[in-house]
Amino acid sequence: MMKKEKTIMVMASLMSGVCLAQMPGGATNLPNGGGQVMPSSFDASGSAAKRPTEDPAHKGETPNPQLLGLEIPIMDPSTDTVKYNGGMFDVGNNAAVRARFEKYLEQVPDNTAESKRYRALMRDMLKQTQRAGRDKNYTVGSDVLVKVGKGLYQASEYPGDGNQSGALASAIVSALDVQRESLVRTRKNEKMEEEMDGLLKQANSWKNFNVSRKTALSIAASNPTVKGKGGGGKSIDNGGELNALKIARNIKLAAKHEATQAANLAANESAKLASKLNYQAMLMALLFSRRFDHVVIGARVYRHIFRDGDAKLNIDEKSTAYEAFTGGVGLPPTVNQMDSVASNMRRDVDQNMEAVCNMLARNKLGEATQHLIEAVAIGEYMQSVATFPTESRQRIAEFWNLRKRALTALNARDYGTVEQVAARMKELDVDFDDSLLLSYTTGKKRQSDLAIRNASKALRNGDEENFNKYITEAGIIWPRNPNLDKGAEMLAQIDAGDPVKEEFKRLYDGKEYRRIAREREHYKIVATDPDLAKKYEEVIALVMKMDGMLEQIKSVAQQDATLGPCMAYEKLVEWQKSDKNFANDADMTIALKDFESKAHDFVQALRDGEACEQRSEFGSALSCYYRAQCKYLQSTLARDGIKRVMDIIVKARYE
Amino acid sequence: MAARRNRGGGKKKGKQNLKPVLIGASVIVLLALVLGSGVLKKGSAARGLEPTPNFRVAEYRQDGSRFASSGNVYVFDGRVENIETIGNARVVSISIPDNPDERLPLLVPGDAKLRVNLTRGDRFVFETTCRTGKTSDGQQVKGVLIVKNVETK
Repeated sequence: MMKKEKTIMVMASLMSGVCLAQMPGGATNLPNGGGQVMPSSFDASGSAAKRPTEDPAHKGETPNPQLLGLEIPIMDPSTDTVKYNGGMFDVGNNAAVRARFEKYLEQVPDNTAESKRYRALMRDMLKQTQRAGRDKNYTVGSDVLVKVGKGLYQASEYPGDGNQSGALASAIVSALDVQRESLVRTRKNEKMEEEMDGLLKQANSWKNFNVSRKTALSIAASNPTVKGKGGGGKSIDNGGELNALKIARNIKLAAKHEATQAANLAANESAKLASKLNYQAMLMALLFSRRFDHVVIGARVYRHIFRDGDAKLNIDEKSTAYEAFTGGVGLPPTVNQMDSVASNMRRDVDQNMEAVCNMLARNKLGEATQHLIEAVAIGEYMQSVATFPTESRQRIAEFWNLRKRALTALNARDYGTVEQVAARMKELDVDFDDSLLLSYTTGKKRQSDLAIRNASKALRNGDEENFNKYITEAGIIWPRNPNLDKGAEMLAQIDAGDPVKEEFKRLYDGKEYRRIAREREHYKIVATDPDLAKKYEEVIALVMKMDGMLEQIKSVAQQDATLGPCMAYEKLVEWQKSDKNFANDADMTIALKDFESKAHDFVQALRDGEACEQRSEFGSALSCYYRAQCKYLQSTLARDGIKRVMDIIVKARYE
Repeated sequence: MAARRNRGGGKKKGKQNLKPVLIGASVIVLLALVLGSGVLKKGSAARGLEPTPNFRVAEYRQDGSRFASSGNVYVFDGRVENIETIGNARVVSISIPDNPDERLPLLVPGDAKLRVNLTRGDRFVFETTCRTGKTSDGQQVKGVLIVKNVETK
């Protein structure tokens, strides 16, 4: 976007008053526990808005100039931001633009017969004024001006026009009235000029007559013959006095006319200037309210209303608008430049809308939204924007609402929701760049989890102070961290620590290690007691070791359906004999029973052997152990039984 | 169970009546020993012992002492699977037909005078008696099959 267009857009927003109400509060700067400042907003493509307080380079920066106690917004075209009230605001993404954009998305396309008639009227007026501008032989003339005026009054009847056409028409009529009045005064001046000429001519005639008479009288006085001939000098003197009075009256009248003429000229100039100012102010207001069609029509008929050829804009040279129009080249701004700016904006809006349609066709919702924001911000009242289809609006509205939700969740530090929303946005637009959101949320989540880990560590060491510190830190960074519930449980456990310790002692003494291991999180609190901590670690290590052994033996047993269970059974019996903890372990016993059923013949042979031994049936016992060995040749139990029984048999004496 | 019983009294009476025949037979035996013990090893001896029919090792495993009543003699035709020597005595485990996954332990006392050399993997005919003994500390040792005689198969 060009600088002057953006400036106009921002000024238009500020003029609406919404910005003044919303912008200062639009950006938030929440503490996040990590000493960083989180982005308070991001645009539709995911980039974060800036705030000068985030950048140390902005410290000590000179404040914006003020006008009547109000700060004047200053635009930085290099970053597309406007500095206002200590904050930097994205031109295409400030509260005012967002509010207008949301209103626009909720509106139905303006396709009524009334609106079509209105647009047809505007098109017709644009065509007429355009022809007048291009065709040297074609002049707008009073007829066209009258047509334009009538058209504008007709257009003003359309509610969507907001009576902007009526205002422009009134400005044109007002300017023409002034022109007419000036013409009347000019004609009066011309008439007075003629009268003055007559008066002065008569006065001169009388003066000449008097001079000639005086000359004749002086000649007569010097010549007595001539003196007597006229019948008396008295009548000559009286005639001279009468001429003098008439001359004086004529000169007085002429002077009066001259003064009136001067007054009329001054009135004309004054009225013309006031009329121009009024008209230019109207065009400027239309430009700021983004009624570009009206600006173009008004600018094009300007030279036909004010025919003196002076199209210079009467703007204060120190104003932002003056700077925007001059563009830094130093040439004074003109009404024609307004025509140019408005035309450019119309073209930009149409191009933006064309781009939006193309992007929507390719599901590029992020970029389409950004372009639509710009198009709406600039050309809200233009046909291409006003007739944008409902379905497309709804698609963009969904994406826009997700964007808002992500922003809200980000400000609330609800990183889980941010990730969900980002995922949905990515679904809608595969090109949506979610890297900023995801990297930020991932970082924060890890920070929070790390703090929880530190809290857990502190708890294990019985350091309640550090536990509180870390758990608070984790909560500040990510208030909805699911692991915080564990922290809360830990806190509750601290409060109810003693009963848990007693329970742990009871279970430990009862060798209910499995239960302790199953509820290890519950009993973790006992770690605050060094002795219990040691026992706790022993239990956990023992159970983990047993689990590992069981896992291993089961895995090996699976490799051979016949010998595997025999091997596993014998190994488990061996372990249970070697360690009482293993013998007391329920899981090991269950596994033993399982393998016992799978290696039934082998186990039965061993058991029969033992039973025979008990009954002193050593011959049978030996046979049983041999049978067990037949089932599992590597059996240690069978081998031991054979050896044991064999020794007895051999050493006995038989009858 | 139908174990074959050899009556000791009947045997003695037969010997007295057939004395001249026995003398002749002894001469023949001596002659045969001279000609070669290897020829005599097989043949007449294998045909002398008949395996006890319907002997089930599984039944022996359940209650061995039952077989020891009245000093019953049992003959088994089996394959030597293992031989363990403890002192002078040996414990031989044999597998007998129709008894899969079963081993029958037989005690060969140190003073037993067997005419054959037991080797692992070979088949023999074992003449055994089921006995109950006692250890030095008075513990009973029930149902042990003690080898009295072995013949090659």
